[in-house]
Amino acid sequence: MEVKLLSARFDVENCNKIEVALKNGAYSVLDKAFSMEPGEVTDEVKNSGLRGRGGAGFPTGLKWTFLPKQTEKPVYLAVNSDESEPGTFKDRYILVRDPHMLIEGIIISCYAIGSHDAYIYIRGEYTTQVKVLQAAIDEAYEAGYLGDKVAGNDYRVDVTVHRGAGAYICGEETALLESIEGKKGQPRSKPPFPAVEGLYGCPTIINNVQSIASVPYIVSNGADAYKAYGTEKSPGTHLFGISGLVEKPGMYELPLGLPILEVIEKVAGGVKGGKKLKGVIPGGSSTPVLLPEELETVTMDYESMAEHKTMFGSGGMVVLDEDVDVVKLVKNLIDFYHHESCGQCTPCREGLGWMLKIVKKIINGDGTLDDVNLLRELCDNIEMKTVCVLSAACTMPVRAFLDKFRHEFEAYVQ
Amino acid sequence: MAEMVKLSVNGQEVEVEAGKNLIDAVGAVGIEIPHLCYHPALGADGNCRMCLVGIEDGRPPLVPACKTPAAEGMKVQLDAEHIKKIQHDVMELELINHPTDCPICDQAGECALQDYYQKYDGQESRMTVPQVQKSKKLDFGCGVIHDQERCILCARCVRFTRQITKTGELGIVNRTDDARVTTFPGRPLNNRYALNVVDLCPVGAMTSSDFRFKQRVWFLTRDKGICHGCSKGCNIFIDHHKEKYKDDIIYRYRPFVNEQVNGYFMCDEGRMTYKKENQDRLLVAKANNAESIISSAVDSLKNSISSSNKPVFLVSPNCSLEQMYAIKKLGEAKGATVSGFSDGYILEGDGDDFLIQDDKAANRAGLELLGVDTTKEAFESAMKEADLLVNFNNDLAKSYDAAALDELIGDCKFAMVATTQDALTEKAEIAIPAASYSEYSGSVINTDNILQMFNKAVVKNEPFDDIVNIVSRIGGDVNENSAAWAGMKASVPALKDVEPEQIPEQGLALNS
Amino acid sequence: MSDRSQLIETGTPFQFDAERDAEFERLVKRYPTRESMILPALWLTQEQEGWISAEAIGYIADRIGTFASKVFEVATFYTMYNLHPVGEYHICVCRTLSCYLLGKQQIVDYLYQELGIKPGDVSKDGKFSLEEVECLGHCGTAPVVQVNGEFHEDMDVEKMKALLATLK
Repeated sequence: MEVKLLSARFDVENCNKIEVALKNGAYSVLDKAFSMEPGEVTDEVKNSGLRGRGGAGFPTGLKWTFLPKQTEKPVYLAVNSDESEPGTFKDRYILVRDPHMLIEGIIISCYAIGSHDAYIYIRGEYTTQVKVLQAAIDEAYEAGYLGDKVAGNDYRVDVTVHRGAGAYICGEETALLESIEGKKGQPRSKPPFPAVEGLYGCPTIINNVQSIASVPYIVSNGADAYKAYGTEKSPGTHLFGISGLVEKPGMYELPLGLPILEVIEKVAGGVKGGKKLKGVIPGGSSTPVLLPEELETVTMDYESMAEHKTMFGSGGMVVLDEDVDVVKLVKNLIDFYHHESCGQCTPCREGLGWMLKIVKKIINGDGTLDDVNLLRELCDNIEMKTVCVLSAACTMPVRAFLDKFRHEFEAYVQ
Repeated sequence: MAEMVKLSVNGQEVEVEAGKNLIDAVGAVGIEIPHLCYHPALGADGNCRMCLVGIEDGRPPLVPACKTPAAEGMKVQLDAEHIKKIQHDVMELELINHPTDCPICDQAGECALQDYYQKYDGQESRMTVPQVQKSKKLDFGCGVIHDQERCILCARCVRFTRQITKTGELGIVNRTDDARVTTFPGRPLNNRYALNVVDLCPVGAMTSSDFRFKQRVWFLTRDKGICHGCSKGCNIFIDHHKEKYKDDIIYRYRPFVNEQVNGYFMCDEGRMTYKKENQDRLLVAKANNAESIISSAVDSLKNSISSSNKPVFLVSPNCSLEQMYAIKKLGEAKGATVSGFSDGYILEGDGDDFLIQDDKAANRAGLELLGVDTTKEAFESAMKEADLLVNFNNDLAKSYDAAALDELIGDCKFAMVATTQDALTEKAEIAIPAASYSEYSGSVINTDNILQMFNKAVVKNEPFDDIVNIVSRIGGDVNENSAAWAGMKASVPALKDVEPEQIPEQGLALNS
Repeated sequence: MSDRSQLIETGTPFQFDAERDAEFERLVKRYPTRESMILPALWLTQEQEGWISAEAIGYIADRIGTFASKVFEVATFYTMYNLHPVGEYHICVCRTLSCYLLGKQQIVDYLYQELGIKPGDVSKDGKFSLEEVECLGHCGTAPVVQVNGEFHEDMDVEKMKALLATLK
């Protein structure tokens, strides 16, 4: 089931070193890219149907076309390597195993959007990863792939790594920009959208690491080659993360559109210890859980997930077995989102703390049915009333757990 | 004229200014969109979520009004059930961690949370789990006391110090519901406008150490006035109250919005000048160096003027235009030299590029307009020959030290018409207490040549006369403000077409 | 999160050492505004001292030319900045979702039993400090533990025991 478009060089030893990467084809797409017009590169990415791999799934090429056609201001590319959604652990493989693929993707993307300055925002916890990435960037400068004349072309690209320092919210694109600007990572209201007014008030494109890393393959092989994988509306491959209670957790590159149960069974070796499946969180912790009976018809693509009232998200699925205490799991989730609330908007700042205390009260045996109902009601009261979707990232899965496993909550209060 | 657009609010069509945000645009036609963090002087932040409104057929259908410009054809939903529910829910969330200590909170009575609770929430608390605990009674400096638990984190205060004073002492640290406003250790509030954060704070999180616990705000009468602390003439609320068996006193000044003069703010020094209206007032008249009843002092002064050969009348640059005119007319009639010398009121370099002016007098422009000489040379040369100095509330101690003052006055007879009891009134043979600016009506011209009217706010148990009336009693023919205006319109070209009753609330910019 | 705003004052002025000073000057050229240096400067401080004092925050603000309140905000917002001294070995155990499902609690309990420290504590000898942190992005190899930034994957009590042995 596995395919290796993005992960082609992941198993090549020392491929983070430029001499190894070059021998294995790194930077070989630059000549072709620079022989094309920037608009042609954008069209190729657009035609490939590549969708943003950070979680929202917005078409990458289309995003690039939102930049103003004429601008006096510099255009920035911000590469989102914050990778903080629980259950998600894909981008770091690119950072460590094939950083030059990312750098090559950045160069081509910068050329396509008319940018000369890219910032890679990497989460602070990725301590070893940032060292590998920075070393690769230094090598790329040394070898002339970055700097004033990229690979001998009359085009400058500078790449700066900016480290986060422990804030999930900085994966939200405007919070990420705030963080690069030296502020707290508090999301901005949109409009204005970053493509018009982003980093330092200038037009900015923000793409996930995997999205950018997919660009060299697409430009090299053409949109059709990419579209040959996946489904019509969800083309290509994805670095899926499978974790939780499975036999063989890990990162697997798979085409989109595969049946989820088959993947869990055949790729991840099934539920750990032969236990019964209780449910799957399909695309990172913020996506509503799916029950075994729902999973029967789910395929791993944007459309099927939406049909089943959940989301593809980051493609990081977490498998739950029959022994999982859903109420305690919900506490773990709320604890996470509360801890990561930037504190800006009233509903999220105050509401998530309230929800956490209520679920703790329930677990401590002091809860009542009113508390369960209040917890459920707060999901509705808080969601989508805020600048960003962090509050929804908490309330959507909590609501699903409450609705699908209500009996477990009731058991605690009886 | 601003471009207007037609939009509907709750189905009712209104015409509003294009491009203004919805709160201001529909607010201008009397429709209130609830909001906590938005403030017109600080711009939109969008954190409180209280101003979320529906836009029928809009994409997105739910927007913060503070960040949404009014546009033609927009259908704004404000009283739709789903919007009312949001307002209710946001209020509930604002209040779950709020201490609700209204009985001991200075803000009670002028608190947005109280008002909005009544209007948009009104339900019993459902908070059955422990509240977040934070610090209380933090001394932020400049007389600002902060209560982190009452704070709703609207960030108005933070934005004020960053955008307006550009001193940036305040910040919101932490995140989650542990976020709180604070100062960096060792760098407290240190700017001359700090107390504005108390006004800006929509709740009781920022209180003034000067005002707190002094008076419940619902007892205060709010009258409009003009600060006389400098030549800016900031518009103020004079918040005063007369307790039973006591006198009417002022508890605080707060800025009153005037876009043409002071915007939304005032300086802290000006704010504290209310104290001078309450304290150290000259209460007892003096005639022949002895306490007397006022009428005796008035008669004594009247006689002194009549018998004087070379009188000098010294006018305060803080006098109202009407007072200045009355004094000038009397001077002319009595052959007195009228001077407005008051260099001591000017503190060179003290002003800034915001509100504070070097000139600590409210109406120097009035002296100039009426042609009253303010030069030191003219004043001192007149004083050399003078046998009587009548000082109308000019604080000469600002211009002369004690020794210089003795030398200046010499054996010249010295009379004061004054509001404050000080060394000058001690020195005067005749002293007549006068009403201060919170106790009379009049007009002043500020440093930008804007003419502003103000009305009597405070009524003392035993009110003193306005200087206009005192001047009349000592022989002047101007006996009230209207008479002064009739005379000024006839003799001062810049005031020829000014109708005092029609001076707009924002003041009238004089052409000169 | 808990309140992080109670800064510690060392009583001595802070400044970058020569190496950090040079790194600061190199990095500042990468950004169009000096304020962008707030996060990197806090990192440089933590590299140098292991933690960030009140004096360091004031120094950074002045060095950058911004308000101390802004640096203070950033230092308290981002939880990886240590605002008090940590142990020689700073142990971070991931507490979220997959690590939770796969038994991070046993590791935390073991560390308490072995070192006598709970999350947030520093051992009396200053050798170890423990923190529970949110998802570290290693869910496929959960539970995961970070010691001074180094990742240790697929952990359990036995492996933690072995790891501690190498640190003691």
